[in-house]
Amino acid sequence: MKTVSIAALLAATTLAIPALAQSRTVTLSTTLKNYGGDGAYLAVYLTDAKGAYAGTLWVAGGKAKYYKHLSEWNRLSSGDAARLDGVTGASVGEGRTLKVTADLADALFDAGYEIHVDAAVEDMRDSPSEIRVPLTLAGAGKPVGGKRFIHSFTYQAQ
Amino acid sequence: MQWRPIHRWLGMLAGALALVIGVTGLILAFFPVRDTWRAVPAEPGLPVAVLAQRATERIAGIEEIRRLPSGEIVVYSFDGGQARASRIDPANGQVLGDYQASAVERWVRNLHRSFMLDDPGRLVAAGVALAMLLLTFSGILMLARRLGGWRHLASGRIRGTPAQRIHGISGRILALVLALSSLTALYMSATTFSLIQADSATDPDVMSVPGDQPDRTVGSLPLLRALSTDGLRKLSFPAADDPEDVWHVVTDAGDGWIDRRSGHVLSWQPASTARAFYDWVYALHTGQGLWAWALVLGLAGLCLPVFWVSGFLIWRQGRARVPRLADNSPARRADTLIFVASEGGTTWGFAKALHDALARNGHRVHTAPLEQFQVTESVRQVFILAATYGDGQAPAHAARALDRIVGQKAGGVPVSVLGFGDRQFPAFCGYAEALDRALRTAGWPLTMPLECIHQQSVQQFARWGAALSEALGETLTLEYVPRVPETFTLELAERQDYAGGPAGPAAILRLRWRDSGLLARLLGRGMPRFRAGDLVGIVPPGSPVPRYYSLASGFRDGFLEICVRRMPDGVCSGFLHGLKPGDRIQAFIKPNPGFTLETSRRPVVLIGAGTGVAPLAGFIRGNVRKAPMFLYFGARNPDEDFYFGAVIRRWLEEGRLTALRTAFSRIKDGGGYVQDALRRDADRLRTLVSKGAVLRICGSRPMATGVAEALNEILGPLGLDVRRLRERGRYAEDIF
Repeated sequence: MKTVSIAALLAATTLAIPALAQSRTVTLSTTLKNYGGDGAYLAVYLTDAKGAYAGTLWVAGGKAKYYKHLSEWNRLSSGDAARLDGVTGASVGEGRTLKVTADLADALFDAGYEIHVDAAVEDMRDSPSEIRVPLTLAGAGKPVGGKRFIHSFTYQAQ
Repeated sequence: MQWRPIHRWLGMLAGALALVIGVTGLILAFFPVRDTWRAVPAEPGLPVAVLAQRATERIAGIEEIRRLPSGEIVVYSFDGGQARASRIDPANGQVLGDYQASAVERWVRNLHRSFMLDDPGRLVAAGVALAMLLLTFSGILMLARRLGGWRHLASGRIRGTPAQRIHGISGRILALVLALSSLTALYMSATTFSLIQADSATDPDVMSVPGDQPDRTVGSLPLLRALSTDGLRKLSFPAADDPEDVWHVVTDAGDGWIDRRSGHVLSWQPASTARAFYDWVYALHTGQGLWAWALVLGLAGLCLPVFWVSGFLIWRQGRARVPRLADNSPARRADTLIFVASEGGTTWGFAKALHDALARNGHRVHTAPLEQFQVTESVRQVFILAATYGDGQAPAHAARALDRIVGQKAGGVPVSVLGFGDRQFPAFCGYAEALDRALRTAGWPLTMPLECIHQQSVQQFARWGAALSEALGETLTLEYVPRVPETFTLELAERQDYAGGPAGPAAILRLRWRDSGLLARLLGRGMPRFRAGDLVGIVPPGSPVPRYYSLASGFRDGFLEICVRRMPDGVCSGFLHGLKPGDRIQAFIKPNPGFTLETSRRPVVLIGAGTGVAPLAGFIRGNVRKAPMFLYFGARNPDEDFYFGAVIRRWLEEGRLTALRTAFSRIKDGGGYVQDALRRDADRLRTLVSKGAVLRICGSRPMATGVAEALNEILGPLGLDVRRLRERGRYAEDIF
């Protein structure tokens, strides 16, 4: 299990959150299909109500040369110099589950924020925003299916 | 630079891993060929818009269209909760079938690039690529040296054992491909580990302008109408559920983004040089989209195991020949020094014989490689035993020895040089001669004048030893026992005796072997293949030293034939002359690769005297394809020593021999010596040589010298001589 604090992350964005006291630990689980390919690169990130980039929660896969295949995340986050700080790990094999936690400020819930997951696998089609779900307290714990590589995605807020 | 040990150890260690990379590379090379063969490519110049339009008419929910390097068009779609990838016919958009990237290809590729070990494996693979680059580089350097210089690298004949030839020939053919594969692999590794940026461009932040207009149809987008499918990589369709999403087209020339409603080009990014370069590197390494190149790459992959095995054999052959010296005195206390320069290790065997003989006489002998040349206080006698490599150069380990010797102040201790070489090579004993010259110029005295031993002749070495005993004033017995390879049994089938004149009688012996069976042959224990012109080594009873005879037949003839003159007091020739049909002998084959004939349509000029006609007769016998062959044969008297006379006349009738010229020296109007016959035929010889004729000479040393003189005269007007023909591999002698 990997943990990341979104407060630090969001400090760089317009939405500065003052204290960690008003935050929740969110567990994000991404389970992959057996798509018959090498390990998947995944980018889990947030956009705000206007669709603007709000921060990166996790990037699975360590080779920068493949990041252009996580095309939407790569484009949106290109201005964020710290987009990879402390949030990268290995690519995820088919059928496996990626579980990461993030400390998200309360103010981010039910405020139009969306969680996106871009996925890419070598020699297969890129799948930007394969997952796109609103960040709400009611939506927590409800699995969402993806089209191509992601079997299901859920987030649990505490 | 000492490349040989680097090449050897790198080859053995990295080579084992390179085997995996080579075999997997061979398998991977098959896929681009198959893909190209299977692909249904678009007609040249087909606009991307038309292709996309055709596809949308047939397939619902298209997300992306890709053109694979093979030319195949694949459509990715998502419809009814189902993701699909379909191969289509670009002519009409019809679905040809599902597209599935090969799982085998993926598995083999992961083995190829990372040994299935992810990043650590990738680093190892990159290390192997670096090793391959060094191996190619050092291999080419060594080959150039062996062939006598860079100008011979492309065309010089590679001589040596089969393992050496296979190693050298495949290296020469594939060095460039291997170097290119290694370099491209290293470049790709460097981009994978972000040491080099292959493509730094980020996508522009673009979106379709919101509005009420409906989406433009793909067929009406101006940019896509202008772009040809030939350069297409992929076309991403805008997502149905995102009104701001855009068209994104990726081509060899660059990337474009198009508004879904207006059809305007929102951005165009030309492909960066870095990306174009990476794409070329990738194509050169994988052969994707270049099926013919993929075949070449596959061949290179196949060669890696060949290199490894033949390289290992060369190393083993060299190592097996270096003997152990049991009583090597320390250099400080030695009174006699022996320095050795040996390429394959054979010269060490002679050094050991000399070492043992001197040690038996109470000398404190120190034997060392030549590069350690140093004469200490206590030393009274120094010997250098030096083999020659390639075009008169030092054996690899002694490459700097000559400089070292020249750099030292000459002392008063005699230094004698004994050279080893093969007259087949243009610079016979060239290195020993250079050493001797350098020593004499520097002012070192000598005990024995320079002597050059031809083809490791035991007899010549013994004669040198006898002269040395006399010079040293002590009895010295050189017991060089050559390592006798595994022998096989031959049985005398028939013999044909000739009076032979005053030089003594001679006989043509035809011997047969027993069929060793398929199993023995598969295990490599059967009768070895041999060719006319190779040598048979025969170990006579009561002597450990084999004698060599040129073969007058090839394996395919089904018998082994030699022509043996009875030498006065000859141990082996006496033994052979005493054989009766049915008697058995032990023998082995010693290949004589510089002398045997390669199959070709070139004219062949054969020149021989006396029993020297034997291998030439073998060449004619094997000339079933009836290439033009001309025999010049010198003997004394047609009634006494016209060996193979009857059968040569028959071959003449059959056309295996084009013309025969004889010279008999001991009869009136016999025509003199064989060189006289050559001079009489000067015009024809010039014509033949200018047509590319190959020459083979067999006989005694005086005869060979006379023939070379005559040929130099004859060929002078062509601007050619024996030395130049020899350098080109067209002139070879077998001298006894």
